[in-house]
Amino acid sequence: MRRTYLGEFEELVLLMIVILDGDAYGVTVSHEIEQHTGRVVTFGAVHNTLIRLEEKGFVTSELGGATTERGGRRKRLFKVTTLGRSALADIQQLRNKLWKLMPDATLKLSGI
Amino acid sequence: MNTPQPPRWAKTLLRWLHPENTIEEVEGDLDELYAYACKRSGKTHALLRYLLNVLTVLPPFVRRRGGKTQYDQPFSLSPDMLKNYFKIAWRNIVRQKAYSLLNIAGLSIGMACSILILLWVQNELSYDRFHTRANQLFRLTCSAGDFKAAVSPAGMARGLQAQLPQVKGGVRMSKPSPMLFEVGEKKVEEKRVFYADSNFLEVFSFPLLAGNTATALSDPGAILITEETARKYYGTADAVGKTVRINNHDNFTIAGVLANTPSNSHLQFDAIIPMKTMASWNWDLKNDTWGNFNFYTYLELDEKTAASGPARQKLLQQIGKMFKAHGETIKIDFQLQPLTDIHLHSNLQIDVPGHGNIQYVNVFFIVAIFILAVACINFMNLATARSERRAKEVGLRKVVGANRYQLVFQFLGESLMFSFLSLVIAIGIVYLLLPVFTMLTEKTLAIHLLDGKLLMSLLGIAVLTGLVSGSYPALFLSGFAPVKVLKGKMRVAGGNLLFRNALVVTQFVVAIVLLVGTAVVYKQLDFIKKRNLGFDKSNLLYLPMTGELGGKQQALKTSLAQNPLTENFTVISDLPTKLESGTVDVVWDGQISRNQVVFPSLDVDENFIKVFKSQVLAGRGFDKMFLGDSSSYMINEKAMQVMGMNINNAVGKPLTFGNTKGTIIGVVKDFHFKSLQYAMEPLILRLNKWGGVVMVRTTAGNNEQTIKALEKINQRLNPAFPFTFGFLDKDLDNLYRSEQQMGGIFNLFAGLAIFISCLGLYGLSAFMAEQRTKEIGVRKVLGATVAGVVGLLSQDFLKLIVIAIVIASPIAWYAMNKWLQGFAYQTTLEWWVIGLAAILATGIALFTISFQSIKAALTDPVKSLRSE
Repeated sequence: MRRTYLGEFEELVLLMIVILDGDAYGVTVSHEIEQHTGRVVTFGAVHNTLIRLEEKGFVTSELGGATTERGGRRKRLFKVTTLGRSALADIQQLRNKLWKLMPDATLKLSGI
Repeated sequence: MNTPQPPRWAKTLLRWLHPENTIEEVEGDLDELYAYACKRSGKTHALLRYLLNVLTVLPPFVRRRGGKTQYDQPFSLSPDMLKNYFKIAWRNIVRQKAYSLLNIAGLSIGMACSILILLWVQNELSYDRFHTRANQLFRLTCSAGDFKAAVSPAGMARGLQAQLPQVKGGVRMSKPSPMLFEVGEKKVEEKRVFYADSNFLEVFSFPLLAGNTATALSDPGAILITEETARKYYGTADAVGKTVRINNHDNFTIAGVLANTPSNSHLQFDAIIPMKTMASWNWDLKNDTWGNFNFYTYLELDEKTAASGPARQKLLQQIGKMFKAHGETIKIDFQLQPLTDIHLHSNLQIDVPGHGNIQYVNVFFIVAIFILAVACINFMNLATARSERRAKEVGLRKVVGANRYQLVFQFLGESLMFSFLSLVIAIGIVYLLLPVFTMLTEKTLAIHLLDGKLLMSLLGIAVLTGLVSGSYPALFLSGFAPVKVLKGKMRVAGGNLLFRNALVVTQFVVAIVLLVGTAVVYKQLDFIKKRNLGFDKSNLLYLPMTGELGGKQQALKTSLAQNPLTENFTVISDLPTKLESGTVDVVWDGQISRNQVVFPSLDVDENFIKVFKSQVLAGRGFDKMFLGDSSSYMINEKAMQVMGMNINNAVGKPLTFGNTKGTIIGVVKDFHFKSLQYAMEPLILRLNKWGGVVMVRTTAGNNEQTIKALEKINQRLNPAFPFTFGFLDKDLDNLYRSEQQMGGIFNLFAGLAIFISCLGLYGLSAFMAEQRTKEIGVRKVLGATVAGVVGLLSQDFLKLIVIAIVIASPIAWYAMNKWLQGFAYQTTLEWWVIGLAAILATGIALFTISFQSIKAALTDPVKSLRSE
């Protein structure tokens, strides 16, 4: 499998899309990130990351139906692809493996 | 609903700058975020967040969303594609033979014309640039009022060189003088012989093939001849040390052999004799005079002065001062004429013959570009007109993934193929036409394909033609939308039609302007030829007094008078084709300031008025009955006006010419004694005491016998010299040679421009007729006549031609008026000339169209309507 590099913010956004499960678009992703991490993100950052993720093939998008609340403008809804899922799983696996390799002392010293 | 709205301007900014394909969702998302922020933390905070967010989705920060589907673009230069392009291009050429023929013929004829003209232009511009220090060489010329001459006094070259540090060197050249060369049996009169100072070879870069450059022109008994002359007399170029007898009098030793004069030199000579030889008998040279203007002086300036205009102005002022300091009272201005300007920018009198004219060079350069443009327009026109045929191809290519650049590349490549093919044919045509063109221009032009510069410019022309003519079809065809094209709903857009019509109009504007130009040039030539010169120029035979004839004048006159064929003769000092002498040293009663006006003078004998059939307005002509006539003068009308006299009081007034006091005995009606390019000048006629040229008025039909009689007389009195003669009217016609050439060339190219335009028109009309086959069929079924259909088809083109006429007329009018202003005596430019050109152009165009329209009109409607 082709390994595509996934940046930290990209990983975060990708996770949010998975979490939101079909309801992921610019606004919801921003809100989720703010809620879960407390980070204030600009909309541009989210927007660009979404496009980049799509270019890399981790997500697909389509325009949703017309809405009443936002002046009738459609939302672009994002869904994670199999490739996206497996990329997330890969990362998770790698992290687990690395965590296991850590000596116990280090873990304790890091002070959880 | 009452949701808060972000500021309108920010939204406008967003819509304006944000990528189009994501604007909808981004705008919605931003609105939603704003509304949410408003609720949570108030309007101000929300606004700040909103603005920040907008900023981050504006370029350059925003990422652009690519198209939904992205395929790998095929490499447009891949060998397979290239092969395909060539194949398709070739198939197109072969399948539409007539169309390809029209295209290639038009382009290659246009190119051949431009190449020929550019060869000529390049030759004209290259004059005198082969001298190593060409940009430092200047000719000293002078002007007195309107009288501008190329000559300067003999003493100035040395004088200026001695006193002015800017002048590094100076060469004097005599006017060319015909001399009789004799080597062994061979006896020929050489016309192009100059006397030149000893540094001639140092200043100019005429290569010496044999002999010593430093000493070749220092020995008074020496002579330099060109290789051609050497071959003529000795049969070999190795002639150094041999002798040649000149004018039956002096023997000269050949000190060197010069390479043949390059054809692009304004100085054209066959032999050069050291100035020292001339100094032994010439008064001007002996006295180093500053008062007689008889020599051409070339000055070599130092680099700084040569390069800067103000420095040269200063130098001229110094020269003027020096001239005054020499005690000369003539009011005269000097000019420094750059050597490289002499050929094209010189309109001076008393100049070496054979000058060009920058005006013609410019005109022809423009004509060359026009003709090429007309050929390109043809190509564009036919290609766009036929574009429908290739629309399907374009559509299919697009469907299977060609992008626009590839298509542009393909069509440009095709037109480049056409243009290179045409270039090859054009070069062939040039080779064929070069002899004809050489005859027309009287220039030795050659095309050397191996010359890098020429090759580059030829390739340049081909590439330029290809790109220009291919640009519109390429951009136009590549813009087709595949869906429409493949559905077959393709309609020629109005814009396309307009463009094509504009092109046709442009073509015909060029053609009409060239036609008018030709007509006016011929009209002017005709006007000059037919103009009353003030004397009867027909049947005037002349015999220059060469060799011993000058000394045997009395005997000559007696023998002429004895023969009834030649008895009607007169002896004058100069031919009235180019009178080169003139003086300012004339004093008359009531003169306001001296030495202002140049008076040419002509020495004539008693028979002049009778033989020339000119008219005496007041007083009388010279007469043997009056012994005192040697100090009498006749003047022409112009001189009378200049001197402020009139018909009634001029005769009998005193007049001092040079040092001779005399009286005016008669006023002669103005007659032309110079080319009609110059306005009438004042003229003083003196009684001829020394000879010059014998003019014989023959009677019509007796010319040959008269020539024989003259030859006999010459043989008896002047046995050592060959017999030379000429007809004055022929010489007069020769004065307008460059105009005649211009007329000839103009004629040729106007014809070609029209021909090329017609090729295009033919193709276009064929296309139109083909397109309207069905319409014509229906019309015929409904009862349209053949004439009606032809009229219908011609109508569209006729409209265009009328527009072209309207545009071309003022342009032609203006341009030709400009050209005519160069003549002192000009024909009038009448509207009928333009009308005639317009009618001619229309006629030719309609004739061209008629082929196709008549064919279309005669087609049986059954045939055209049967299909479908």
